[in-house]
Amino acid sequence: MAGVDLIKLSKAYGDVEVLHDINLSIADGEFVVFVGPSGCGKSTLLRMIAGLEKVTGGDVMIGDKRANDLSPRQRDIAMVFQSYALYPQMTVAQNMGFSLSLERRSKDEIARKVKEAADALKLGPFLDRKPGQLSGGQRQRVAIGRAIVRNPQVFLLDEPLSNLDAALRSETRVEISELHQRMNTTMVYVTHDQVEAMTMADRIVVLNDGNVEQVGSPMDLYNHPESEFVAGFIGSPKMNFIKGRYAEAVDAKTLGVRPEHFAIGRGDDTWEGRVTLVERLGHDTILHVNVPDAGALTVSLDGQHAHQVGDIVHLRPQLEYIHRFDESGRPIAA
Amino acid sequence: MGRWLLLFVLGVIAILMVSPLILTVFTSFKPTTELVNPPWAPPVSLTFEHYVRVWTEAGFSRYFFNTLVISTVDAVVMIVIASLAAYAMVFMEFRGKLVLRVLFLIGLMIPVTAIVLPLFQIVRGFGLVNAHLGVIFADLALAVSIFVFMFSSYFVGVPKELHDAARIDGATEFQIYRRVVMPIATPAVVTTALLEFLWSWNDLLLRLLLLTRDEMRTLSVGLLNFQGTMTRDVTGLSSGTVIMAIPVVALFLFFQRHFVRGMTAGAVK
Repeated sequence: MAGVDLIKLSKAYGDVEVLHDINLSIADGEFVVFVGPSGCGKSTLLRMIAGLEKVTGGDVMIGDKRANDLSPRQRDIAMVFQSYALYPQMTVAQNMGFSLSLERRSKDEIARKVKEAADALKLGPFLDRKPGQLSGGQRQRVAIGRAIVRNPQVFLLDEPLSNLDAALRSETRVEISELHQRMNTTMVYVTHDQVEAMTMADRIVVLNDGNVEQVGSPMDLYNHPESEFVAGFIGSPKMNFIKGRYAEAVDAKTLGVRPEHFAIGRGDDTWEGRVTLVERLGHDTILHVNVPDAGALTVSLDGQHAHQVGDIVHLRPQLEYIHRFDESGRPIAA
Repeated sequence: MGRWLLLFVLGVIAILMVSPLILTVFTSFKPTTELVNPPWAPPVSLTFEHYVRVWTEAGFSRYFFNTLVISTVDAVVMIVIASLAAYAMVFMEFRGKLVLRVLFLIGLMIPVTAIVLPLFQIVRGFGLVNAHLGVIFADLALAVSIFVFMFSSYFVGVPKELHDAARIDGATEFQIYRRVVMPIATPAVVTTALLEFLWSWNDLLLRLLLLTRDEMRTLSVGLLNFQGTMTRDVTGLSSGTVIMAIPVVALFLFFQRHFVRGMTAGAVK
């Protein structure tokens, strides 16, 4: 096992730099998630750690070795791809044992390791099947099994759940978390889904436009976002950003209030608005409210409520949870 | 109505295509005495005497062996070099890749007849006239461009992640080629093997030019022996043609499914 250090890492395609001076230290055994919108460079960063993309500037350290010039196989890493990337002509067992066969391990050892991984992932009955005969969830488990078999220093996972349906995605999310706890190997996980990031990560790295916006634990990012971008990206439904007189009233350029940090009540300190849409999720109710001078706001209420479209409601932001931002989108200290 | 019209047109085309073959097969089995009958009349009594004569006296057993050796080596070597070149063109980055691609493209555009003389001089320069190796080299050089493009169009459809996954698994470029890419390129391999084998099997021009000694000749050149300036050995020509056609027809029937898939590969993703 090993940690990963990225030191002033940059990547350019021709004259276009897509990653700028990334500094990051991932501890041995840590589960780190790279999250960010499409095109922010998170997959490129992961591929640079894997050795699938050349480093333009800076260093990638795996353990205490500089890995810039090492081939993927010299880095002792394993990777799970979004599209599974299983070899279609090989059986599940051959797919999982491929890396070991390349290392010329004995047939007995390969069979034993493949069986161990298959048992852990409940793939035992499918070892003789080809990938084309498996469901999406089973294929993804084979891809994970192929990574486990190698017992690598670092696991890299590139949006591994994106091709699964919602139910299977949450099931596999739990399996990957359990796998990490069991193996205690360094894992670097890429996703654009902040729910995945929040539920799985020890630490989240938020990337935006080739830069690291913030690194921290999920609750750190939720409670103390260091920019408007992070505040908007972490949390679902996303944070409301309000400008104008309501922001000025708290000495801010932009006021950020999470949907769950509104209460409904009456009084001088409430904002009056009209309900434009109601989403009833059972465990909570989401109201879309149009507030004059504040715009369209999203409000998340615990439990089930009887509000209807067109109702007038009075919103009270919970002042202890509001976020204040200056002109540059940086938080204003309390 | 439209369907019947289509069937009729296809039927006419099929008859036009098959009728010379039927005529040839009929003639090859007819005793010489029946040659005065109308050519479309089936043989009344079947005889294999022409086949025996062609195979033994006319030297077709040796021509057959020569043709088989040249065509098989052509097909096998073509699969190896064209797929390796295509692999490099599709999956690897190297200096001069574009220039190489253009050279292959030029190779597609030059007709063989235009370069027959320089080709002969080059082969003679290597001392390979009247050697099977000379014909094999010439065959490979003239057709390699087509098969590089065919393999390339197939390899482009191989997901890039598969290649990445194999690199992560620790495979070298050659191991990726041999164990990951080639096993899923079966249709392209079969199509290359069949087409190159067929072209080599049927080619007359290069064999006539480069193999002048009788013991080196191939079937296509051997067929010319039955045709003189004033006379023609129709039964010999027919049975020789059937002997020449049988292996190719058998191969096509056996590999038809793969062949059709290979021909359409790369056309639709």
